[in-house]
Amino acid sequence: MTTIPPFTGFGLGLRKEHHADFLERHQPVDFVEVISENFMACGGRPLHTLDAVRERHPVALHGVSMSLGSPEGLDRAYLAELGALARRVDPLWVSDHLCWTRLGGHATHDLLPLPYTDEALAACIANVIRAQDVLERPLVVENPSSYVTFPESTMSEWQFLATLARETGCQLLLDVNNVYVSSVNHGFDADEFLAALPVGAVRQIHLAGHSPGPDGLLIDTHDAPVCAEVWQLYARAVARFGPCATMIERDDAIPPLPDLLAELDQAREIAAQESLAPCA
Amino acid sequence: MRLIARQQAFLAEVAAADEAALSPASPGMAIYRNAYRARLLSALETGFELTRRWTGEEAFAAAACHHVLATPPGSWTLDAYGASFPALLAELFADDPEVAELAWLEWHRQQAFAAPDRPTLDPAELAAAGLSEEDWANLRVTMAAGFAALPVTTDCTALWDHLTGDAAPGFQPSPVAGQSVLVWRVGFSPRHRPASRLEHEALAGLAAGQPLGVIAAATDPAQLGDWLAQWLSEGMFATASAAQCPEAAVLAES
Repeated sequence: MTTIPPFTGFGLGLRKEHHADFLERHQPVDFVEVISENFMACGGRPLHTLDAVRERHPVALHGVSMSLGSPEGLDRAYLAELGALARRVDPLWVSDHLCWTRLGGHATHDLLPLPYTDEALAACIANVIRAQDVLERPLVVENPSSYVTFPESTMSEWQFLATLARETGCQLLLDVNNVYVSSVNHGFDADEFLAALPVGAVRQIHLAGHSPGPDGLLIDTHDAPVCAEVWQLYARAVARFGPCATMIERDDAIPPLPDLLAELDQAREIAAQESLAPCA
Repeated sequence: MRLIARQQAFLAEVAAADEAALSPASPGMAIYRNAYRARLLSALETGFELTRRWTGEEAFAAAACHHVLATPPGSWTLDAYGASFPALLAELFADDPEVAELAWLEWHRQQAFAAPDRPTLDPAELAAAGLSEEDWANLRVTMAAGFAALPVTTDCTALWDHLTGDAAPGFQPSPVAGQSVLVWRVGFSPRHRPASRLEHEALAGLAAGQPLGVIAAATDPAQLGDWLAQWLSEGMFATASAAQCPEAAVLAES
């Protein structure tokens, strides 16, 4: 299995609305992240666009359908297609989420929550190892936002993630907005989440916006700018984990590219300030 | 609770058709339930924009909700959700067959847009291959990226032109007999056009791997000659090979 070379750049999610911008000229980002499923088993203009962007920028492949939390195991055909895309693109890394997305033949296209139990952990460990074997690279696993908890959980989400990373050698995609959203929804301390993750395991950070939901819950909608509380949590994350690849993740209400580039500059400034701050 | 049992119960609640039969959802479960349904409805709205304009918002929304409840997605890509929606529309709009036919056309153009790449057979290369009469009879082709064909009962291609053009009020699609619609992609561009049922059947035979000689035996020679010229000029074929002809076999690699 190959290792992931160090990379600490600042990037954006590549969205259709900005394809023309990226095709027209090199943009001031260090990498782009694409949704793997949008380019798997396809051709035509989408794949051509990905190839053209890849010539100018490093690409991270970010999936939403691997279903790492599935006790039924991983979809072989899906892994084969993802592997083919990874060989074509030579990505910085391949990531997906700590969740389940399908059961039997029913694919939900949502990142559904797991109970944090030994059984769920064993299933995730087996699936991560399997994915890494097929892809021949470490997987990078993201913490999703969640809106429910389960009475059978015997550990916290952060304990679950830390153990998963330790047992499989996978790396972590720390979604700071998701940590914040989940901390509000479930009443835990976001800093306790950060403190539990192994320093060397965090490969990438996601930043995004959220929206108010029912009954005081927050929803991870990715349709708004990063809020002040998430910026502050990001600063604390950089202080703990050091420079990490950082990306603004905007999936809806997509603004013009210059707006996202300006937001990304905010991340650069915060990261730069944290790197100059005296050690605690 | 075992993990699979937890997931089965969770999914049953998220995808439930009869919400009234469920116990009141927690705010968190309501978020998952709403997100599941909204995502699939959005996929149908995006994938069938013209159909939605033609049927009107209310009728489309009702059909889409029916589809979401009756047909859970099975693929890992959301782009595949909607494959059976035209068939449902054919049932729901039985008195307005242009609805399902327009939806079929819209769906297959989208599929063609992102279909895996295939080459385009160069007519000049085929002409220069020096095929014998036997080679022509044995010639088999593979179809262009995204090729699909459907027998139709309305001029849905005219409806397409209307909705993507000036969309002047008062347009009504006309019934047609013995017609089909073809979809394929050349380069980055999906294409479609009407075709006779006989042309459709000839192309279906070629797409199924029948050699040109078999098609020719069932077709007027002059008509087949015209069709072949048209198919080649339109980029309808990806590759051609005549098993017993080494030169022609090279065309399969072009």
